[in-house]
Amino acid sequence: MNAPANAPVNKITTSQTIGPFSHEAWQWSVDLTANVETTAPTVTVRGVIYDGDGTPVNDAQLEAWNPHALEAEAQVAIPGFRRVPSGEAGGFEFRLSRPADAPADAPAAFVTIFARGLVKHQFTAVFLEDAPLSPILAQVPEARRGTLLARRQPDGSYRWDIRMQGDGETVFFDYT
Amino acid sequence: MKFDSVPSGVYPELVYPEYKSTVKRGPLQPLLRVDAALPVTENIATPPALLLPGDIDLTRPEGCDGEAIGERIVVTGRVTDEDGKPVRNSLVEVWQCNAAGRYRHKKDQHNAPLDPNFNGWGKMLTDDEGRYRFVTVKPGPYPWGNHHKAFRPAHIHFSLFGNVYAQRLVTQMYFPNDPLFDYDPIFQSVPDEAARQRLISRFSIEETMHEHLLGYEFDIVLRGRDATPMGL
Repeated sequence: MNAPANAPVNKITTSQTIGPFSHEAWQWSVDLTANVETTAPTVTVRGVIYDGDGTPVNDAQLEAWNPHALEAEAQVAIPGFRRVPSGEAGGFEFRLSRPADAPADAPAAFVTIFARGLVKHQFTAVFLEDAPLSPILAQVPEARRGTLLARRQPDGSYRWDIRMQGDGETVFFDYT
Repeated sequence: MKFDSVPSGVYPELVYPEYKSTVKRGPLQPLLRVDAALPVTENIATPPALLLPGDIDLTRPEGCDGEAIGERIVVTGRVTDEDGKPVRNSLVEVWQCNAAGRYRHKKDQHNAPLDPNFNGWGKMLTDDEGRYRFVTVKPGPYPWGNHHKAFRPAHIHFSLFGNVYAQRLVTQMYFPNDPLFDYDPIFQSVPDEAARQRLISRFSIEETMHEHLLGYEFDIVLRGRDATPMGL
C-alpha cells in the first residue's frame, strides 16, 4: 500500500562505523552460523579482504546471505545466513548452500561488509565464474564484473578477494 | 520496497581524513545502483528462539551473580521505515563499553577496569509497533589512538536488520549535550547537521523509573518506503 502522496517522509537514521569492538558481541551469531547443516550441495568461497594499500583488513565482519537456501537449511537457526570475522591475515571463508533448484545464475551470496574505518556498511555480492550471467551482474559495467567473480580452484572451492579501495576496487551496491 | 537515493551529506563521508582509518578503507568509486528483487523483498529470518532471558538487561548478565556498576538507564525507541510504518519483529543488536569506558574485547587496551558483572551486549526483536527496549548502564567516554586527546563521546552501537535485506543498518546512538561531539571525527564525518542530530538520543522523564533508572529514547528510521502489507 502506498503512503498518501502528501505524507511526510521520515528522515533516515545515518550510519556509523561498526568500530573495532564488535567481535565478542557478534560471536553468538558467528557460532550459530558456522558449519550449518544443509540438504543442498555446497560451495566454499575463500578470500582475503584488502584495504587501498593492499594491506589485509584483519578486523572486518562479513555477512553472507543466500535467500535460495531457506529450505535446504530449514533446520538451522538462521537459514541461509553466515557471519564471519576476517582473520589476522584478512582471510575469510563461507561454506554456502547452492540448491539445485535455485536459479543457475543466482549469486553464491549477497555479502555485507563492516569494518573499523568503514563509516557505512557496504553491500556487494559474489558470483561463481562458471555460472550463467546473472541479471544483477549484467548491470555492472563489464570492466568491473571480475571484482564480483569467485574463481574455481583445483580443489573445487572458489576464490574471491575483496578490495575496499583503489585498483580492482570491488563493486559495491546501492539497491533501488 | 523502494529505496530512493540518499541525499548527499546524510551518510558519513567514506573517506574522511580526520578519521584516519577511513583513508585506505573507504571505497572511492560511487555506489552502483542496482535493481535486484530479493534484497528489497526478502530478509534474513531471525526466530524469537534466538533471544535469551538476559539479552534485554545488560546490567544482570547470565552467569553473573552481581549487578553492573554504573548509571543504570533504559533505552527504548521505535524503528520505522521512511513512510513511518513500524519495522516489526526485527532483530536489533546492541553493544557498548562499560561505565568506565572499557569494552569486553580482546583488543581493547584502554587501562580502565573491566566490570565482572557487565559484558556489554544484548539483542531483541522489535514489537508490533516497531519498539525495542533494553536496560543497561550508561557507557563511559574512552580514549582512542586517532589523534592527540582523542576521546569518543559516550555511545551505544546498534545493528538492525529491518524488514528487508536492503534496510540493514549499523549505527551509533549518542547522549544529549556531550561536550565531545565537536571533537569526534566519527560523529563529524556526517556532513549534514540534522542527520548528526538524529543520532543523539533524548532524555525521557516518562521512561525514567522512580528510584531505579533514567530513560533515553532513540527512534530509528531505516531506508525504504512503499512496503507491501505482506512484507510486514
